[in-house]
Amino acid sequence: MRLTRLTAVAILAMFIFACSIERVPLVATDVSIKQPMPGMQMTAGYLTLSNNTTQAIKITQVSSPQFDSVEMHESVVEDGMARMYPLGDLTILAGRTVQFEPGGKHLMLMRPVGEFETVTLEFHADKAIVLTLNVALSD
Amino acid sequence: MPRANPLLEKMGPRNRFIAIVAVVAIATGAWLSFQVMSPPAVPQTATVLPAPGPLPEFSLLDHEGNAIGRDVFSGQWSLVFFGFTHCPDICPLTLQVLADAKKQLAAAGSEPLPQIVLVSVDPERDTPELLGQYVRYFGDDNLGITGELVEIRKLTGGLGIFFEKSAVDGDNYSVDHSAVVLVINPRGQFHALFSAPHEAANFVHDLPLLMRRR
Repeated sequence: MRLTRLTAVAILAMFIFACSIERVPLVATDVSIKQPMPGMQMTAGYLTLSNNTTQAIKITQVSSPQFDSVEMHESVVEDGMARMYPLGDLTILAGRTVQFEPGGKHLMLMRPVGEFETVTLEFHADKAIVLTLNVALSD
Repeated sequence: MPRANPLLEKMGPRNRFIAIVAVVAIATGAWLSFQVMSPPAVPQTATVLPAPGPLPEFSLLDHEGNAIGRDVFSGQWSLVFFGFTHCPDICPLTLQVLADAKKQLAAAGSEPLPQIVLVSVDPERDTPELLGQYVRYFGDDNLGITGELVEIRKLTGGLGIFFEKSAVDGDNYSVDHSAVVLVINPRGQFHALFSAPHEAANFVHDLPLLMRRR
């Protein structure tokens, strides 16, 4: 009887845990945004985005109240030339991870608005915000 | 008491002397042949020009607004990168790699230390003042070069460096540019180059060798 009750509690806990995972479809780790360099109106942001759902997630826009504009870009070196491309929409397949890292994909944050030490990033999938992050600026 | 080698015990004093001389001779020979046969340390990443050549003539500005020509490179080794301040990723990444390499060389007591130079490929936005703030962020001794586009093209054209504007959206634009780092020697000659991707360890290994081989 006691064992049955314990089993029921365990199943309930697992169910709650599973639900909590389902509520966080997109998880960000290793997030960093550098303080804009002196005199500069822009900086770069880096992070790892993991899609924990069973469906692809398409990020259509990234915004921040602290910057006029946030764009997803990718730096590449092709035939000895350093180039930067806007990514447009970014699709993260089910269960996959996408890395934004120096020399590759990055967030380009342009024209800071006022003084701040923490940046709020909002990741949009069409009209819905699917992830909000608060990131302290790093040196 | 440790026992002497039984073989040596059986030898007379003369033979023992000959045996010791033979062992010393073989060891010396082995050491000398190792020294002669092992290849000298050579640059691993840098491409060294067989015949370093002079830089083209140009008339530009340093990051303090002073007029400069090609003699600005004379008298010290320079690591020269071509980029622009509105580049948020590759340019700061490369300048940080060069700054890290210089710091590691200094910590190892390597002399002379190279100066780090950023030549702007976006003179439209890169005023001397803005460029100065940018290059000094990576080190007080760094040099920024900007000026008239036509003069920048004289310098880049003579060094095989390419760059072109590329639209990002609206008024915003980026500049595609060669990703190499050039090494200019104290005679003001194009001496060697490092191709991307850049890592501090490559510069730390190769630069002292390049400077020694001048």
